[in-house]
Amino acid sequence: MSKNVLVELSEAMAEAVENAGKATVMVNARRRMPASGILYASDLILTADHVVEREEDIKIVFGDNTEKSASLAGRDPGSDLAVLKVNGSAGIVAAMTKTPGRVGQIVLALGRPTNEGIQASLGTISAVGGPVRTGRGAILEQYIRTDSIPYPGFSGGPLVAADGSVVGINTSGLGHGASLTIPAALAWKIGETLASHGHIRRGYLGIRSQTVEIPESARSSLKSQQETGLLIVGIEKDSPSSKGGLMVGDILTSVNGTPVLHHDELFAILTGEIVGKSTPIEVLRGGTKAVVNVVIGERK
Amino acid sequence: MDFNGSFNKVIEELVMNVLPSLVIVRGHRFGGGAGMIWSSDGLVLTNNHVVARRKPIIKLNDESEHEARLISRSPEEDLALLKIDASDLKPLEPAPENPRVGELAFAFGHPWGQRNSVTRGIVSALLNAKTSQGRTLPVIRSDAPLAPGNSGGPLVNSRGQVIGINAMIMGGDQSLAISVQAARNFVLKVVGEEKIGVGDQQPIPEGVL
Repeated sequence: MSKNVLVELSEAMAEAVENAGKATVMVNARRRMPASGILYASDLILTADHVVEREEDIKIVFGDNTEKSASLAGRDPGSDLAVLKVNGSAGIVAAMTKTPGRVGQIVLALGRPTNEGIQASLGTISAVGGPVRTGRGAILEQYIRTDSIPYPGFSGGPLVAADGSVVGINTSGLGHGASLTIPAALAWKIGETLASHGHIRRGYLGIRSQTVEIPESARSSLKSQQETGLLIVGIEKDSPSSKGGLMVGDILTSVNGTPVLHHDELFAILTGEIVGKSTPIEVLRGGTKAVVNVVIGERK
Repeated sequence: MDFNGSFNKVIEELVMNVLPSLVIVRGHRFGGGAGMIWSSDGLVLTNNHVVARRKPIIKLNDESEHEARLISRSPEEDLALLKIDASDLKPLEPAPENPRVGELAFAFGHPWGQRNSVTRGIVSALLNAKTSQGRTLPVIRSDAPLAPGNSGGPLVNSRGQVIGINAMIMGGDQSLAISVQAARNFVLKVVGEEKIGVGDQQPIPEGVL
């Protein structure tokens, strides 16, 4: 039977799996089945944070079945990414996609959770979205969703395009069990920070809060038509907010001049840059406006 | 290039080539499974668990029904070889080489009794399963959706060649197929070399078995 478009597509996908599979490694850093990772620099591996359960005795198995020990270079539970370092050059480095993922694009999710070779599942990009709050205390600027099957042990492995280039890194640790893909450009950027600093700095206030409607009468005192704010229902002991004088019952309306209507805006403001800075926080206290200066702490 | 047109055409051709070799195996009182024609003179390969009684009924794609003889069964490998009295049947060609992870795979069968269904996926992993006797059995995991009724049907590649016999559904979305190499060995043991791959004009190299 001669080659036709179906055979050509099939061979191209097998080729993409073989090529990207060379840079897809097994990450053995937890008790249950190993997970996956991407060799993204000659001695650095990007993987999912939640699969790195131990920081000692981390083993990496490469595409040619060689095994190396790795050390933890940095981790960020917020975005569920971790960077591992091996000694010396480790093999073929993954190629990052030149074009970001598009909805409808054919993609392959790769993993190497066993010694029996590369594994893959086929899908298309279902959605490209963001920013989104991860539920692990971070804002992900962008995410990709696919309909490929996230086999056990695929967390930390790459999502690749039909040409074998890496579109993102897959993890089941962010989407309440559902699989999510962190776009390659974002993951590489976070990976660089982790490799050089060990962690991602994020601001910390130490409040528990819920979104509430701001009463019509209070809006005039705020001199704003802002409809909602964050009612503070709890203050962590010895936290930046308690030291700065925030109180339970305050309705937080803005930070550093930026209105806060929902939690997402507060998360977006609490970046690493404002850690340690005295920051004006505007609240409604007893129906009138008050400004409290809080030295923003760092989320641990 | 008229991409859509040619793409649809080759898929249609592939399906039309495989369907005449796909059969229904009725071994239970309820439901049934799938099977594939292995030789033009009436050998039919299916899963052992599909064949519950010694004289299963085979329904061919041309609607004719045949009482089959059970030639051999292997509960360990979940394979069974049946024989019907028929000639000039169209056997499927076994793939000459092991599949590659990432290549297209099409599962044929009758899920939930839906006759002649085709589902698409890729070869997800090439694994070695442990049999109840402790031997290793080469299996193919694919992401083509399977359901009860797919059992015993062929998993074919983009050329329409058999790469596996669909066998198990694990955890709802994981499909396993027994590698066609294991199936060839099973048939070889039973009927000897001359019956292998009738319709397949290539001699079978020793190393492949």
